[in-house]
Amino acid sequence: MNRRDWFVASGAATGSALTMMRLQRRKYARDLRRKRSRVAILHVEQYSGKLDELVYDGLRPFDLNVRGKAVLLKPNIVEYIPGKPVNTDTQLIGAAAEAFLRLDAASVTVGEAPGHHRDTSLLLYKTGLSEQLVPRKIAFVDLNRDELIKTKLQANYSGLDHLWLPRTVLASDFIVSMPKVKTHHWTGVTLSMKNMFGIVPGSRYGWPKNVLHWAGIHECVLDICATIHPHFVIADGIVGMEGDGPLNGTAKDLHTILLSDDPVAADFILARLLGAEPNSVMHIQEASRFLGNRQGVVL
Amino acid sequence: MGTLERIQVEIENRSLTGGGWASGNSRRAGIETTCYALMALHDRRSITRARGIDLLFRTQNADGSWPAFVGDDPDGCWTTALVAIALRFLGAPTAPIEKSIRWLLGNKGREGHWFWKWKFRTVDRAVQFNPDKYGWPWFPDTVSWVIPTAFSVIALEQFTLCCRTEPMNRIQLGKDMLRDRSCPQGGWNAGNGIVFESALIPHIDTTAIALLALTDARDAVASEGLNWLRRTCMDCPSAYSLAWSAIAFTMHQDPAFTDCIENLNDRLSTRNAGANIEALSLAAIALKSAEDNENPFVVI
Repeated sequence: MNRRDWFVASGAATGSALTMMRLQRRKYARDLRRKRSRVAILHVEQYSGKLDELVYDGLRPFDLNVRGKAVLLKPNIVEYIPGKPVNTDTQLIGAAAEAFLRLDAASVTVGEAPGHHRDTSLLLYKTGLSEQLVPRKIAFVDLNRDELIKTKLQANYSGLDHLWLPRTVLASDFIVSMPKVKTHHWTGVTLSMKNMFGIVPGSRYGWPKNVLHWAGIHECVLDICATIHPHFVIADGIVGMEGDGPLNGTAKDLHTILLSDDPVAADFILARLLGAEPNSVMHIQEASRFLGNRQGVVL
Repeated sequence: MGTLERIQVEIENRSLTGGGWASGNSRRAGIETTCYALMALHDRRSITRARGIDLLFRTQNADGSWPAFVGDDPDGCWTTALVAIALRFLGAPTAPIEKSIRWLLGNKGREGHWFWKWKFRTVDRAVQFNPDKYGWPWFPDTVSWVIPTAFSVIALEQFTLCCRTEPMNRIQLGKDMLRDRSCPQGGWNAGNGIVFESALIPHIDTTAIALLALTDARDAVASEGLNWLRRTCMDCPSAYSLAWSAIAFTMHQDPAFTDCIENLNDRLSTRNAGANIEALSLAAIALKSAEDNENPFVVI
């Protein structure tokens, strides 16, 4: 090790110590934990046309009050890689949209800001999402190119203070995070809270959202979820992905759709489903202090 | 009225009252969107064109950069290169462009700093790239990506008429970066071609934009990119990606241009009404370059 390397290593060690000290302090404005969280775990063998009924039946025990509300479904549509289950399955997205309409939502919109692809219409075509949404007359909003509103963050882990967020997200009454259940090289796992990273627009933060990567992915996930707290989770774990996610992993049959009114409770269960310890994932562990509960009542 | 004129009228109709064009369903003018629309209206003498140019002048930051949209924080970003290209193409005064070029020269991907070079060489080796070859980021203080680098290279080349050393170095470095980040099968993804030892799949628009910056016919990496683009774009259903492809094929005087334009025309005849401003504008630029070789990305 030469002198420059030694200085860099010392600097990195000091930086880590300071970061740990900063994390000890309370960094959130509101405690959003529910008194009681609920979870439903549906065993589903494969993707099929039966998902419409399965999802609707799965939602009913939650007795969700979405009547007259604007519902936003936020799936994980990141990239099209043939043969790799990197995206939330489009049949599941279609089924969820149908279910919320049957529950008397005023409108259901699907919104996503794909992280790599700038040609969102091509991505919708290739993934098959258009085929699901067009016949059902469900609108899709490209959050990468939506109108942006300067929004003060309700937590301060990243140090970003504010983000420019899409009007469609801010104007929605009920937000459903629909992650693909995957492992992730940088964050361990990518589940319902990490999926909310995808509401941040590329037009303001880059393709991919590199400004947020440099501010810290875990930290940004916490800030985003404290500001735009998903009301519900429908996680696609029928076929998940393990290995070097979010793009380069391998398919893993989990045969599960998880529904929950608490993203933290959902992520604790989903992480374990992937064989990961949720407390070792910084944003999940930290979120259990103010964004949700580690456990939920299983319906 | 021909397809080109019909698209130009549609673009003019969709301009904002305060000047410029908004992306998606936004009511704020986006700088990228406005640049494409103005390039598409290059030969028109309409009030919307004049208002659009005025908006670009009004939104330039004090340091010479441009934001992402009207009302954005004054940090400046990748759109700066695109505005420089658009203003030059429109024959605007050079003072704002000169200022933007200075900003571009002071901006670089984070891997251009010795500390991050060291990190990428020793600790962070999941992505395979050569940090000695860096270009431009989407936003300051992040790493280089293909599209902002390609646009910055073009803006600098178009502006650098005399052989000043610094721009020439950055242009060369930017081109080296683009070659370094190409995908193994040819073409370009958003950044690196290989991540976690897996080859990424190229994107049509990114590949076409990178090819606008790499125009040397002897460049093997550009040739591979062109081959990939020829194979891929013909069954592409997106007007946006087809338009970028057609613009790149014209630059390279590639025969695939004819089929690409035909495909684009088919798409526009069925989807024109639903197409966004970016796709319409790029289609107009492609059609115009087919008609009379006017291409905003050409380095003369």
